[in-house]
Amino acid sequence: MLTYIARRLLIIVPMAIGISFLIYLALDLSPGDAVTRMLNPVQTVDPERIEELRRALGLDAPLVVRYWIWFSGVLQGNFGRTLTGGVPISRILMERLPATLELSVVALVLSSIFGAILGTVSALKRGSATDNILTVAGMIGVSIPEFFFGLVAILVFAINLGWLPVGGRLLPSYTTYWDHIPNLVMPALVLSIMMTAGVMRYARSAMLDTLSKEFIKTARSKGLPEWRVNLLHGFRVALTPVVVLIGFRLPILIGGSVIVEQVFQWPGLGHLFVLSVRNKDLPTVMTIALLSVILVLVVSLIIDVLTAIIDPRVRLGGE
Amino acid sequence: MRIFKAAAVALLLQTGISSVVQAQALNGNPLSDVRVRQAIAYAIDRNLITESVFAGFAVPADGLLPNGPFKSPNLDKYAYDPEKAKALLAEAGWDSSRALNMVYYYDDQITADLMAVLQAQLAEVGITLTYNLIVGDVAKTLNSIPEDPKGKSVVTWDMAYGARAAMVMQEYFNDYATGKASADGFPGSPELDALIADSNTATDPEVAKATLMKIDEYINANVLTLPLYYQQLQSVESNRLDRHGEPYGNDQFNYDWNVHNWTVTPDADGKAILYTNGAPLDYFEQPWVNLGLWAGNKFIWAHMLGSKPFLDGITGGDLAESYEMSDDGLTLTFTMRDGTKWHDGEPITVDDVTKSLIFSLKTPNLHGVIASVFNSIEGAAEYVAGTAETVSGITSDGNKVTIKFTKPNANTLIAFTQWGPFPMKYFEGVDPTLVQQAEFWQKPIGSGPFKVEEAKFGDFSSFVPFDDYYEGKPKIDQIIAWASSDGDVNMVKNASAHRIDFAVTKVVSDIEAIKALDFMRMTPLDIPYTRMVWFNQYDK
Repeated sequence: MLTYIARRLLIIVPMAIGISFLIYLALDLSPGDAVTRMLNPVQTVDPERIEELRRALGLDAPLVVRYWIWFSGVLQGNFGRTLTGGVPISRILMERLPATLELSVVALVLSSIFGAILGTVSALKRGSATDNILTVAGMIGVSIPEFFFGLVAILVFAINLGWLPVGGRLLPSYTTYWDHIPNLVMPALVLSIMMTAGVMRYARSAMLDTLSKEFIKTARSKGLPEWRVNLLHGFRVALTPVVVLIGFRLPILIGGSVIVEQVFQWPGLGHLFVLSVRNKDLPTVMTIALLSVILVLVVSLIIDVLTAIIDPRVRLGGE
Repeated sequence: MRIFKAAAVALLLQTGISSVVQAQALNGNPLSDVRVRQAIAYAIDRNLITESVFAGFAVPADGLLPNGPFKSPNLDKYAYDPEKAKALLAEAGWDSSRALNMVYYYDDQITADLMAVLQAQLAEVGITLTYNLIVGDVAKTLNSIPEDPKGKSVVTWDMAYGARAAMVMQEYFNDYATGKASADGFPGSPELDALIADSNTATDPEVAKATLMKIDEYINANVLTLPLYYQQLQSVESNRLDRHGEPYGNDQFNYDWNVHNWTVTPDADGKAILYTNGAPLDYFEQPWVNLGLWAGNKFIWAHMLGSKPFLDGITGGDLAESYEMSDDGLTLTFTMRDGTKWHDGEPITVDDVTKSLIFSLKTPNLHGVIASVFNSIEGAAEYVAGTAETVSGITSDGNKVTIKFTKPNANTLIAFTQWGPFPMKYFEGVDPTLVQQAEFWQKPIGSGPFKVEEAKFGDFSSFVPFDDYYEGKPKIDQIIAWASSDGDVNMVKNASAHRIDFAVTKVVSDIEAIKALDFMRMTPLDIPYTRMVWFNQYDK
């Protein structure tokens, strides 16, 4: 297994380079650049001034040169500065990452726990009122967009009841970390609801599929207690696809949830990513994208390893 | 001299509607035929548009200049008349198989609705309209013109929808000058060029006004551009805010709004906090471009002169205690006010003013009106070209700053109501081309009534009173501004939760929503803001 992990880790490097270059290329091919986004479309500016700004920002260099300048900086731990505001990207990451992490970690943990439990209960109670209620709730959860849940939550809990803040993360009057927890509640719960619904539906179908397998019947025929059959034999195997689903949601730890961040004015990386794409601020977009790419690749490796641990039938790298 | 000016004004005003170009296509582009453009004007029901698409929160436009003192009585209103439109199209030999393409750059739903209405109305008279949002390099797509005014168009669009939010009335027309790369799609005419030049150099306001009216008449008669509607700005305020009679004005720019005299009802802790929006998302914008941005500009910065609310005159000095303009409009002298300070407690010096002026000449994103004034400072061109080390037309003596210009400009004084100096010690070694990328804009040191206390970019910015503000310490204890881009999508939500005491908006859905909140009030502001359709008349 260690050889397999080492091999996969080595592959991540060229893959990250290749994918990041493709992203850079795609962004570069889209019309306009950061300078055009800084200008008012109906304010005519001296073209020489514009070209001078383009040169000063290094946007006049060929694509490959610009990519290399950015990438070689990253290799030295220097993510560069934003084009529009000249702000060190590492500083922005440090400012925004905590906001994104606390929102997405809470949502991931809550949705993974509740989604897996509720999905399993739903499968075990198949055809019952509990199953029907959970199935309908799951359908509603995955069908209704996040922004709708968010707006309803704001209307009820912030505007009508006044229990929670309408949005934002911090205030000048907050002096301790715990002061802003009320601000976190609504966005984290809204994000959790959506994710819980997905995990629950996945867990239910995986559990149903597992419970119909021969080895479950064998376990029952051995006279094992039903809870032991369900949890130790069924749930363990059913967890495999659920872990894959949860794993591939981990990139939101970096990318954030754009819609929830927008609705709740949450100053996370998702919000910043959209703003940077709109501004064609390539160094910022590329840094967030690269971190997401690396996370996806690493998570993919972790999922493979976890799957092998959870499901005894899986063997890594032909072992 | 006075008699001569009066005669000039009288002559200008007595002249009837300006000449209409010959009624035929001037090149292979049917939109070069005035009859086709007039037909489009008659085919569009502007009353219907303002009532249905804009729920009555816009005013049908007949000229580019807004209603008010600059409105010419000689404008043809092109009242909705589809039959007349059809007749004009028939007369012009309109080929109904030819589709016209309209481009626009607003990605909001109202603009999409408007496009659908325009498409339907033009279809009624036999014109097929397609439309699409410009993505990418908007300025280039809109403003590119051929080198030769008689050459082929370098853009594919036929019509473009956009707006002009003017600081001064000349801004409406300067782009129509021959050879000026702009969206108006008009190759130019000597008659219009002469009028535009006159409007910019007239130092007598009455002469300038009469000339501006003539230009509007010329554009109206020839339908060079089709004004659709004037949009009002709404000042949105909570009932906690008391402006104490301080004036309302054009909030897209700077004027003497005297925010230091405003008050808000204190909260339970006895602290008077004003909540607003418009705080920066990732850095403070330098204040020489987006002039009316309140959170990043008007709270923080003072200017050389003060302006009347709708920029229709000077109220007096701001950082400058007084000013003197020579009769020929070529020499402007400021006497700086004693005792003014930056937010770091350092004095605002004459050197800060002269160095900021010189620095601004090489900044890429100076507001157009300010740039047009500054570019005519003596020696500015040589300095920018690199053939001179400093600007000969900018000098100082004691507490006086003198600026000499190569030509008079009608907007010189107004430009200085929008411009103020930077504390230049923070810009040593900063390339003016990269002014916006300077570290300074993470927490700027300004000169206005409030100073930046804290900026959590993307979340909020906090401003506190500047004790040494020369007009007195502001009465509000703190301003908390929520981060938002232009057209804050969260404004209504925040207002509903009592988190907005002051904001401005033009968004119709926001206006309707705010009307439903009994603790909020709105004040309509008639600003020069005209939405229009440009015609591409270049050969195709």
